[in-house]
Amino acid sequence: MTLAGALISLTGVQAAGTASDPPSIASCMTCHDDPKFVHKLGDGKKISLFIDQHAFAHSVHGGKLVCTDCHTDMVESPHDTKHFPNRLAMRLAYYEMCKRCHFPEYSRLLDGVHYAKLAKGDQNAPTCVDCHGSHAMTRPARPRALISRTCAQCHTAIAAAYVRSVHGKALLEEDNHDVPVCTDCHHPHDNSNPRAASWHLAIPQLCARCHTNKQMMAKYRISTDVLTTYLADFHGVTASIERSEKADPRAFTATCTDCHGIHDIARVNDRSSPVIKANLLATCRRCHRAAGPNFPSAWIGHYEPSLRHAPLVYAVSVFYMIFIPFVIGGLVLQILLHLWRVVVNR
Amino acid sequence: MNEYVIRFSVERRIEHACVMLLFLVLAVSGFAQKFFEAQWAQWLIAAMGGLQNVRWVHRGAGILFAAVVVGHLAWALYLVASRRSKPSIVPTRKDFSDAVMMIRYYLRLSDEQAQFDRYDYRQKFEYWGMVLGSMLMIMTGFMLYLPVLTTRLLPGEFIPAARIAHSNEGLLAFLVVITWHIYNAHLSPDVFPFDVGIFTGKVTRERMEKEHPIEYDRMRADAKQERDAHPEA
Repeated sequence: MTLAGALISLTGVQAAGTASDPPSIASCMTCHDDPKFVHKLGDGKKISLFIDQHAFAHSVHGGKLVCTDCHTDMVESPHDTKHFPNRLAMRLAYYEMCKRCHFPEYSRLLDGVHYAKLAKGDQNAPTCVDCHGSHAMTRPARPRALISRTCAQCHTAIAAAYVRSVHGKALLEEDNHDVPVCTDCHHPHDNSNPRAASWHLAIPQLCARCHTNKQMMAKYRISTDVLTTYLADFHGVTASIERSEKADPRAFTATCTDCHGIHDIARVNDRSSPVIKANLLATCRRCHRAAGPNFPSAWIGHYEPSLRHAPLVYAVSVFYMIFIPFVIGGLVLQILLHLWRVVVNR
Repeated sequence: MNEYVIRFSVERRIEHACVMLLFLVLAVSGFAQKFFEAQWAQWLIAAMGGLQNVRWVHRGAGILFAAVVVGHLAWALYLVASRRSKPSIVPTRKDFSDAVMMIRYYLRLSDEQAQFDRYDYRQKFEYWGMVLGSMLMIMTGFMLYLPVLTTRLLPGEFIPAARIAHSNEGLLAFLVVITWHIYNAHLSPDVFPFDVGIFTGKVTRERMEKEHPIEYDRMRADAKQERDAHPEA
């Protein structure tokens, strides 16, 4: 917060230092400076038309834009009264203004789930201003924790779970910037549907972006073999094959979050973690309902088989590494000897 | 005198055809999963209608294969136990001396070749390799098909171990078939291009005399005995 405060005051100073308010802002403020200035929408709801001039001056656009840069339909002062049936219609009338400068973000937005909801006429679907604010917008990721607070405006339960997770705690309590915030996993603009099968099957690669980073994981003594060991197992093979298929899979296979948890993910030695030994059977049983007490050890953990971890699996693979070349080599040798003798006999 | 002798009964021929067909289906549906990263494997999976189809094809063929193998062994045991058939495929001490003799022959250390009975040591080796390999494949296959049931009886680590064993044993079986079996049934100068005996059941007397002289002599002795006992027939 202090960092953000410093930044805001910095931009404020800059804005105040470069120029006095452009004249159009002053003329708009003759009406919009009144805190009691409200407008009645078609559905009967009232919205405030008051603009906090100070907040705008301190925003990222302060000193750079004037009112009519975005409100291009209100160049005359005073302008005609605009009539909107509801808040969504009003937001829709103005959110496309942002693309005049922020076109890449706008075009990515068109691929996102939020836009898909908006296109269906969902009143609650967010547009630019719902996440970024309108007149008082600051940099979206300063401080980094602001991102999860932004998403929390709608995604309350998920945000609450995130705050308690190993990632959320590290961010909020230690200001650790290695941990992911919402937008690291869910892209900010072209966020795809996390309930889609394609998303579920891509989770291993998503987590692996950080969890195979040797430098980053060394700090926390977390193995970077987590992806390869998962992919080598039955679940991982299933996920990989289904990911390469065109059609959506007909059966469910577990990826990272199905065992470790999603937004509430905990340290693997935390008592609440679903993957500690005491909780593992219950976790397996979520899919394998009749699983018995031996079942969880069918997953040998994120270890490469070795004499220490899963010696039986290790022994079987070493056996075949020797046995296959031995048998095939012997048979081929016998074939060659036979052929040689046939040639010699002629 | 007939030019051919009947070497394989209709049941044995059907059995071989079943095993051949199921082996192919199992290899295709198994390797598509084992080598899923390869382009051809992804093409195969798509051609079979997706991963779940491939798995059900593999399991279905596996169950049929298990039935054929278990049926074969049970029937063979019954025939041997009731003295209707001799255990001619069981290895004996002679097979080891035959193998040594043949290797000496191949290496030109000697010009003498071993004389074989109904099955030579290579055929016995392939048969028992097939039987033992199949039993391992069937056991590990069912362990992977029913992991929840398996871990009620066995430690959990048997499941990933079974997976490695199933995958490697399958590869080994396939490699043996495409080298050893294809050589002996098709590419060997003795049979090139195709030893049709296991499909028609018939083998020429000439080949019998050359490849299985002990059995052939016994067949002729038995036939003579039969003729002597019933001279009118």
